[in-house]
Amino acid sequence: MERIGRTLKKVWNYKWIYIMLIPVMAYFIVFRYIPMYGITIAFKDYNIFKGVLGSPWVGLDVFKKIFANKNFWSAIKNTFVLNLTALAVSFPLTIIVSLMLNELAGVRFKKITQSILYLPHFISWVVVAGIATNLFALQEGTINSILQRFGIGPIPFLSSEGWWIITYVICNVWKEIGWGTIIYLAALTGVDETLYEASYLDGASKFQRLIYITLPSIKSIIVTMLILNISKMMSIGLDAPLLLGNAKVMGVSEVISTYTYRIGIEKAQYSQSTAIGLFQSVVNIIILVAADKFAKAIGEEGII
Amino acid sequence: MKEKDKKKKLTFGMLVIYILITLLAFACLYPFLNVLACSLSGYNPVLSGKVTFYPIDFTIEAYKQILKRPTIWTAMRTTVMVTLLGTALSLVLTILAAYGLSIQDLPGRKFMTGLILFTMYFGGGMIPTFLVVKGVGLYNTLGALFIPQSISVFNFIVMRTFFKELPESLTDAARIDGASYMRVLLKIVLPLSLAVIATIGLFYAVGYWNSYFDALIYIQDGDKYTLQLRLRSLLFGNELGNAADDVGGTVVMPQSLKMATVAVSTLPILVVYPWLQKYFVKGVMLGSVKG
Repeated sequence: MERIGRTLKKVWNYKWIYIMLIPVMAYFIVFRYIPMYGITIAFKDYNIFKGVLGSPWVGLDVFKKIFANKNFWSAIKNTFVLNLTALAVSFPLTIIVSLMLNELAGVRFKKITQSILYLPHFISWVVVAGIATNLFALQEGTINSILQRFGIGPIPFLSSEGWWIITYVICNVWKEIGWGTIIYLAALTGVDETLYEASYLDGASKFQRLIYITLPSIKSIIVTMLILNISKMMSIGLDAPLLLGNAKVMGVSEVISTYTYRIGIEKAQYSQSTAIGLFQSVVNIIILVAADKFAKAIGEEGII
Repeated sequence: MKEKDKKKKLTFGMLVIYILITLLAFACLYPFLNVLACSLSGYNPVLSGKVTFYPIDFTIEAYKQILKRPTIWTAMRTTVMVTLLGTALSLVLTILAAYGLSIQDLPGRKFMTGLILFTMYFGGGMIPTFLVVKGVGLYNTLGALFIPQSISVFNFIVMRTFFKELPESLTDAARIDGASYMRVLLKIVLPLSLAVIATIGLFYAVGYWNSYFDALIYIQDGDKYTLQLRLRSLLFGNELGNAADDVGGTVVMPQSLKMATVAVSTLPILVVYPWLQKYFVKGVMLGSVKG
């Protein structure tokens, strides 16, 4: 009883803080939690006139419908293919670039190159896709006209499915490689300097230092980042595939997010689109929890 | 540090690293150069794909033409407005959330923080959110472009981490002197946090400036198009369907015109970039400290 009294007194003391938090909590309830309730339309036959509450329940019918659609499975496959290819290229590349940046001696040179490498992260996908479409165009695209001078091509970067995946990966790497190095560079500055000194006195070569000191020192961040990235395999940004994709490469560029958009917004199949989103969220959480468990099992920090 | 630098003599290996990094930096810059070169070149060089690094048959005709289009100006105005209003609202809400929830013995703090953090892992998704936005009457208004996404949980974590690290003695002393919480926030906490507020403000601003998807799904009228959405319909025309059903979308534009539009719409980012990059590394690191 006394405890409750004390708490109430504290609450009263903090009344202005609660008042400050009202708009914040209102925001989260209206725009984040009410939509979660809206997920129920994945189990309903949503009717725009009856609304979320009034539409009739249909159990798992909507899920049966989406699972029966081969476009859905193709979107899942494409999401994995694009994510895995991008990860396979950008993950090692980011680490290599970080290691190289870390070796640079000139402070000025290092600063300038870093600024340049971070820049593309802040450019919108519309602009990136616009530039890419211009550079990689089949006719009069700069890349193809350079290649042609060497007797190569023209290469259908944007209109053949195989090449499109490569273009997608190039654009992603271009945009995010510099940004990705930040976390590794921070870890690299934390490597114990005395270890380098000792190895230097022992006559270790640069390569030996890399293998025996640098990499082991940042191993844990590498593993964590890898697990974190793998845990995001099912989610994919909508911007890149939607903006870079076109009718010719739909077979590889239609991913879960763009599929959700097309079914939901363009075709107004609200229930189906929501069901796809829910399926994706649930799989995401399962992968995330599994990845977290795995990380802890191998003695690394968890990721949740 | 000096000791270390001395040891890094210019060996063959180092030379290779320098060359590779220079090439990489060049690869990051080249697309921008190409945009400028294309936008400032004459008709024929662009058509024949000769333009690579520098303008050929220099002309600013493309810029003149795109700046003549009223739709560009309308879109620019909309985007500036959404960016300003959105950044202001986002900052206010993020500061309130971070300040309130950085008070350790606030009853209910854990619950409210949990409620916020949970939304990082699970959400309603595109359509349920769309229906809420429509339901509260924001559909086809500029409010839809910033109110539904005004707080980023990541930025909230960054700011809360920063507030938590402020010396408690300062705020406590003010409280004992009888200052209200609002006063403590305005007179003590905020002046000490200008750097982090500037960083997060810039993050929000860049986010609003660059976002186009919200405009794509929430905006119907062409005169409410944002810059990115206008840019998209200029760059890609009708390729993807419903985004480009008014002027500009259906006309085939020469590359120079497109690239001039790209340059104009990216310029503000390039202008704030020096400030942005001064702070963001620290912001990223603060954010990776989990709360």
